[in-house]
Amino acid sequence: MSLIRQALARTAPTMQFTARRWASSQDGGPLDPSTALARPEELDQRNKLSGKITVPVEVNLGPISGVPEEQLKERRVRIHIPPKNAMQSGTDNINTWQIEFDNRERWENPLMGWASTGDPLSNLNVKFGSKEEAITYCERNGWRWFVDGDLKPKKERVKNYGINFSWNKRTRVSTK
Amino acid sequence: MAALIRNLGVRIASAALTAKHVVPAGTAAFRMQSTAPVDAKAAEKPTVRKPDAAARSSLSDFGRYVAECLPKYVQKVQLTSGDELEVLIAPEGVVPVLQFLKDHHQAQFTNLVDIAGVDVPCRKYRFEVVYNILSLRYNARIRVKTYTDELTPLDSACEVHKAANWYEREIWDMYGVFFANHPDLRRILTDYGFEGHPQRRDFPLSGYVELRYDDEKKRVVCEPLELAQEFRKFDLSAPWEQFPNFRNANPPAEEVQPAKAAAGAKK
Amino acid sequence: MAGREAVKRAVQQVRPILSVDREEARKRALNLYKAWYRQIPYIVMDYDIPMSIEQCRSKLREEFVKHRQVTDIRVIDMLVIKGQMELKETVEIWKQKGHIMRYWKESQDPKPTDFLSKFIQGVN
Repeated sequence: MSLIRQALARTAPTMQFTARRWASSQDGGPLDPSTALARPEELDQRNKLSGKITVPVEVNLGPISGVPEEQLKERRVRIHIPPKNAMQSGTDNINTWQIEFDNRERWENPLMGWASTGDPLSNLNVKFGSKEEAITYCERNGWRWFVDGDLKPKKERVKNYGINFSWNKRTRVSTK
Repeated sequence: MAALIRNLGVRIASAALTAKHVVPAGTAAFRMQSTAPVDAKAAEKPTVRKPDAAARSSLSDFGRYVAECLPKYVQKVQLTSGDELEVLIAPEGVVPVLQFLKDHHQAQFTNLVDIAGVDVPCRKYRFEVVYNILSLRYNARIRVKTYTDELTPLDSACEVHKAANWYEREIWDMYGVFFANHPDLRRILTDYGFEGHPQRRDFPLSGYVELRYDDEKKRVVCEPLELAQEFRKFDLSAPWEQFPNFRNANPPAEEVQPAKAAAGAKK
Repeated sequence: MAGREAVKRAVQQVRPILSVDREEARKRALNLYKAWYRQIPYIVMDYDIPMSIEQCRSKLREEFVKHRQVTDIRVIDMLVIKGQMELKETVEIWKQKGHIMRYWKESQDPKPTDFLSKFIQGVN
């Protein structure tokens, strides 16, 4: 608007007065060009989009996640905690829940004898902090799932060698 | 008892010695105040970069100021790796916060260096969008972080920084975060007809399809993936905690307390 | 389990992508369909694909019908956005012939369904 005013002032000095009066009557703070130049429908749309809509919490993102339909329909997800290494390793790497997909067909590569597969999801490794997070993830993305190996608390046991031979163990066999 | 005092005295002396070697002149007052041997120990590890205390305090002051100015949008301010300021904002505050940081005379973060995306599938809002901005005037870099999910649109920063255009297209292409009011949102890195967003954590390394040139059809055809050799699974995660001594050594992020809380702590 | 049942019924307030209600989302989807439908003759001509206009139109219908069970407004919006981008890529001839022919999955053999063909191919 100031540009217009300047242009008017430069071209016609006689119009300067009217221009200034016009400007002062209109002045209500600076105008935002994107609002001032927008069509009414655009403004309507913008107002609508600035609000919120109510949608169900449960949502299936399967159609927009880009996973091929045949994978999405046929596969089943196993949610599990990785098992501890059977050797005397530590347990620092088994605190997370993982998702894993069911196995697909593998075949021997006729040329080299490699194990070939047509399964893109076999190498997927996504970790979660808890079982619930993994379940929520699967449900949102439209995977069928099941939880495997829910941890049962082990019965406490005194780990003491001598206990094995305590008086009530009846380990002593009579020699007579 | 005497031996203990002697011991202590020796230790303090050695601390002063090492400090004299490492710390530049002008910090005598600082050395006088710290009688504990902690500083001497820290000075023995020259490989660990020590953040500048002055830069830290000025950055956290600035962060506090931003949080005070924009309480509606700024959710948290933190310092990462010692002296990098991060402003964590609500998703609807992208434009106002960036505009504020750009236009404020004491900030002038006029350069958008990069926009990065992070995918953490276990979260409710699984994507993080990180704006790295640079103030040439004050030679400072800060990060503005926000969050979103697959369906929540973020406001495009294009009206503030022209540079955001391609970066946002990249985020859209790689993560599938939709940017509202973007002037030209379309794919930038993937091929036409590509489905999915390859930087998501749940996108397989091999992708879902493979392309090959078909000699009969004289064109490229697209087929479901078939791997001649399947990816082998190596468990590369370490079963042992690697550096138990450094468990709490360098916290990845320290929160900058808001002004009131900081004043209360000082009292 | 009860918690998950509750989630199924729960609603939330969210920011819209393009549409604010079902009707608007439906209109957008229909508009996209019409736009594609009108462009198909030009696409067939420009890309010189070995398909007739009718085949293309049935394929278009198939692609839309594939997502007929989608009810969430924002998911519909997202699909419309992606479809719109694809239309633009097609009409501006950024794509090539192979990209267009990708919709028909020509080089893929349909999976065996009856017992005998499964047996012959060695697939369960």
